[in-house]
Amino acid sequence: MTGHGERTKVQRRAQRERRYAGQRKQTVSRATLYIILAFAGIVAMIPFVWMILGSFKTGAEIRQIPPTFWPENPTLDNFRTILNDPDLPLLLFYRNSMFIAIMNVFSVLFVGSLLGYIFAKFRFKGRDIVFWYILATMMIPAQLTMIPGFLLLAEFGLLNNLWGLIVPSAVDAFAIFLMRQFIISVPDSLIQAARVDGASEFRIYWQIVLPQIKPALATLGLLTFMFNWNAYLWPLIVLTEQSKRTLPIILTWYSTQNSSQLQLVMAASVLMVIPVLIIFAISQRWIVKGLTLTGLK
Amino acid sequence: MQRDAMSVTISPPEQDDLPELQPPKGKRFFGGREGAQKKFVAGVMSPVIAYMLLWGLIPLVWAFALGFFLYSARRAGGPFLGLGGDNPFVGLDHYKAMLDFSPDASLNVRQFHIAVKVTLLFAFIVVPLNLAITLPLAAMIESVHNRVKPFFRSIFFIPVLTSAVGVAIIWGFVLHPQRGLLNALLSKITGRLVVISWTTDPNLVVIGIPVALFAIIVAYLWQDIGYNLVIFIAALQAIPDSVKDAALIDGASAWQTFRYITLPLLKPTILLASVLTMISAFQVFDLFQVMTAGGPQDQTRALSLDIYETAFRFQRMGWSAAVSVVLFAIVLVISLVQTRMLKSNWEY
Repeated sequence: MTGHGERTKVQRRAQRERRYAGQRKQTVSRATLYIILAFAGIVAMIPFVWMILGSFKTGAEIRQIPPTFWPENPTLDNFRTILNDPDLPLLLFYRNSMFIAIMNVFSVLFVGSLLGYIFAKFRFKGRDIVFWYILATMMIPAQLTMIPGFLLLAEFGLLNNLWGLIVPSAVDAFAIFLMRQFIISVPDSLIQAARVDGASEFRIYWQIVLPQIKPALATLGLLTFMFNWNAYLWPLIVLTEQSKRTLPIILTWYSTQNSSQLQLVMAASVLMVIPVLIIFAISQRWIVKGLTLTGLK
Repeated sequence: MQRDAMSVTISPPEQDDLPELQPPKGKRFFGGREGAQKKFVAGVMSPVIAYMLLWGLIPLVWAFALGFFLYSARRAGGPFLGLGGDNPFVGLDHYKAMLDFSPDASLNVRQFHIAVKVTLLFAFIVVPLNLAITLPLAAMIESVHNRVKPFFRSIFFIPVLTSAVGVAIIWGFVLHPQRGLLNALLSKITGRLVVISWTTDPNLVVIGIPVALFAIIVAYLWQDIGYNLVIFIAALQAIPDSVKDAALIDGASAWQTFRYITLPLLKPTILLASVLTMISAFQVFDLFQVMTAGGPQDQTRALSLDIYETAFRFQRMGWSAAVSVVLFAIVLVISLVQTRMLKSNWEY
């Protein structure tokens, strides 16, 4: 009996010691965890920091070898030069990008939610075939339909036209899929009640279904805006006239034009990348939500 | 019993007079206004289907057709879509030429071979590296205090939101031979002036892989990591704490819990993320075009870039369409293989 008691005492003490050791180990590993994360965070942020710092340096400082990290004589001259450059009407390019992105948001949200509603709440012949076809188009690389798409746009006279980047992208597979997932959970009884009250089918979609999925619409709207704002390949092919171009294309054009004046390119990048980045960063909660809900790119 | 009583008191007595809410079996439409619903569906679907044929299916078929022609948009060609005439039908010639591995093959063919190699290298380096970074990082972010979690997540997610062109140009500033941050850092560490042309020196090759390609890989990883990170954090949050706690109480270490509890539960997510990352890695265009434009000496000429250049700079659209069909086939095969793996793992 006593032997047994001894053993439990020893065991208990050992257990206690183990627990203390565990706690000590935990605080140590907690510290390393934060150190690793902080280091990774710095690595992730440093290219941005380098660009922003560079945009405040003078041309002479940029040409110094080896380069400085902090600007020695911070100046706003680079930004002034860019904003006064007659070859770089930034406002025009902001407007082009904005027009394409916003029109796409409207058309993709409208078509996506309308088709999402139909695929979620109606049964008709060939529905599943059409739905699976739409999903399958997501697997097709953009490069495959790029050449015929270009030829088709030329045929319709939509080359060098901002509408050429809006019209072909209205039926968006990702949008339809996302909208369908959300509309499925809108209760049938709600739709049915509106029908009994004599609402037209389109009005049910517009006044009953859409208000139910507002958060999803906001998420999809942000994703669509972001995608179009950042797009490069398609605008590069469709818009060849300088005055029609969007910001990403202008940024590459400007950086090759001024490759010897890196401080100007850095300032231009700051002007083109940072403002929208701040908007995206503020609204990233909804963007993240949309991405994780569907698990699709 | 109690629930029944509740529902009786809540539901109004008129309930029974309302029409049935469930659709009657065997009927496509319900609610007594079949005509209106049919009209609505037809009214929406017919323009949509016409639209999908025009902008979806026709370009798809057209792309496959172009691959059988020697086609340029500059030549007038035949009456139907400009095919035939000055743009002659060549059958499988493009595809046969792709299999010509002799050194005196035409430049197009040699560039195509390089492009396939570059694209495969890029995808097969990027995907494992991406997972090897995002998975531990997600686990780390998930285990820090709730207050700082959103902060860390944001830091890694901001590059996802940046345009790829912006990313390419920002990395250009870091990798610039004379004015770049990386060489400045290396100079400081070694004490000598380091001037390495990371993206333009064709002689820089490490273990058979051009350094310029590594530069693009780093930039791509930097941009893309936040995406999988978010997916993995969401998946980690979906695992109930009780499962992990049970393992810890049983005496498993933090590493053992991760290795034997968390990781197996994450498997479906990991496979899904790897498929999606792989598919997008095959189609990366912006970074290749802006960072290196395929150089030095075609060392970073990816398939997407090869297709763009041959079609729009050199107007060889027939050949380019054939190459895009090959890219499609590669993406299709690899994603099918991965999906099969995904399926078999869903069932364990």
